[in-house]
Amino acid sequence: MGTPTWLYYLFGTLMFAVAGYCLVLLVLSVTARRPAGRDVDISHTLMGVAMAGMFVPAWAFGPNAVWELAFGMLLVWFVVRTVQSIQRFGPHVPHALVHAVMSFAMILMYWFPRGLTSGSGSMSMSGTPGGVHLDAGLGLLLALVFLGSAIFTLASPDKGASHHGTHLPAYAMSGATSAGSESTSGGGSDGVTGHVEALVAIPWLEDLSHVVMCIGMAFMLILMI
Amino acid sequence: MAIAETELGGAADANSLPAPVGAQQLPPRDLQRTFQLLLATVWLLDAVLQLQPFMFTRGSNGLSGMLNGMASGNPGWIAHTITWNGSIVYHQPILTNAAFASIQFLIAFGIVWRRTTTAALGLSAVWALGVWWFGEGAGGIFLGTATPFGGGPGGVLFYAVLAVLLWPSEGSDQPFVAARTVGVRVAKGIWAAVWGILAVLALVGSGRSPQALHDLVAKVDNGQPGWLAHIDRSSASLFLHHGTTAAILLALVCVIVASGVFLSPQPAQVTIVLAIVVFAAIWVAVQDFGGILAGGATDPNSGLPILLFALAYWPQAERRPSRSNPRSVPMPTTVEV
Repeated sequence: MGTPTWLYYLFGTLMFAVAGYCLVLLVLSVTARRPAGRDVDISHTLMGVAMAGMFVPAWAFGPNAVWELAFGMLLVWFVVRTVQSIQRFGPHVPHALVHAVMSFAMILMYWFPRGLTSGSGSMSMSGTPGGVHLDAGLGLLLALVFLGSAIFTLASPDKGASHHGTHLPAYAMSGATSAGSESTSGGGSDGVTGHVEALVAIPWLEDLSHVVMCIGMAFMLILMI
Repeated sequence: MAIAETELGGAADANSLPAPVGAQQLPPRDLQRTFQLLLATVWLLDAVLQLQPFMFTRGSNGLSGMLNGMASGNPGWIAHTITWNGSIVYHQPILTNAAFASIQFLIAFGIVWRRTTTAALGLSAVWALGVWWFGEGAGGIFLGTATPFGGGPGGVLFYAVLAVLLWPSEGSDQPFVAARTVGVRVAKGIWAAVWGILAVLALVGSGRSPQALHDLVAKVDNGQPGWLAHIDRSSASLFLHHGTTAAILLALVCVIVASGVFLSPQPAQVTIVLAIVVFAAIWVAVQDFGGILAGGATDPNSGLPILLFALAYWPQAERRPSRSNPRSVPMPTTVEV
């Protein structure tokens, strides 16, 4: 009885689904000229594609260095956003912080691919023992953070906060449906874009994409331990 | 910096942005709910651990082998039930393990969704008892190996206890969260009983044997990261030379902690801190986080749930505000995700 490859395909598919969903959100936000949550959409799109390639080697592409660079830039971005948010709103846990931690975890996964091998410039699941690897304690800590984030995001009354934080009442509290006609950043969306946005940019669905990403990353970290 | 400007209210009129939602509309923190979510997080961790590849395999390294290993040494009728379960898992490893993982996901997400919280906590208690029996061999109680150092009487039992204590109810978090549903007297009784049992288990059977305690650490040492293996060597050496003393000290600590709930808030806090420090140290230096870091564990052992259990008894000085006056207590720190 071998390794359950179907499970990896399942997680890989879920990761791609999150990436695809966030890509749609990204396109919609660009079309509507609404930058709120765009950084999270970009990061989830990249993470989804990268994670899918980790679960299913055949789906991996691009040199690791490029991925590391991308997640490094996202890490810096989210750290800056975290600091800005704390400066502006006082002591709290900004939603950008968990995205910074996720970006950091992605970098670690590329730096210490224990149980994963580098093949064709991308990671794969076949594994080679030995070599430098991610500290298991750090891996467990990160996994716990992501699982906690998944649970507390699902339980949060502020739907959509995982993408937009709780500092954008018009969007985070009343949802994208109302935001479709009343942009939070002065931009506008109408016609087909507004209709599509009303269908897909649903706060609980945005939270769900974050939850799936968190669980996928936690599972990958557990696999790497 | 367009995105930052958006969240910060726009460069042109930053001060006109409404106060943060978290500071404006966040209801007072419901501590029982927070503990429920922490329990859900632990269940989610268990579910993810259940998905590890080896759990889907047959043989001694798979789930069925792990289950059958729990049967050895137990009385015949107990061992028979465990091997019966093990044989089912052996014949359908993928189906059964996928089902086990799904149930744990169900419990975790069920606790989160308020409409199913009660049902999920009920399932949590039932499932925990099942895991305790079939997956932990009744915690080693019948073998005389159920020392709290090693997780006795079974880490998953604390999931069941927590499910009962955190059963949803309206009311005050005073004097501590664990009393909100079952009442102060019952909660104190549970506390005293749990710590009393831990004290006894620290002293009976092989719980006080230096060699047994040494072996307890040695058997989980393999595959641990270097820093943890270093700690293991120290704790194994300590047990080998002072195992009996350590067992007696642990029993003493448990008795002190058991009595703490009957004291006034400040001494009670001291005993809870003592419990947290001691069991955090045991979780790290003896239980090795349940063996998760070595890549072969299905749960975090008793250390983590005991910490949750202890925190649920932390004295609450502030009265939970009524719904009509939610601003009567200082606002909690905002948590967005």
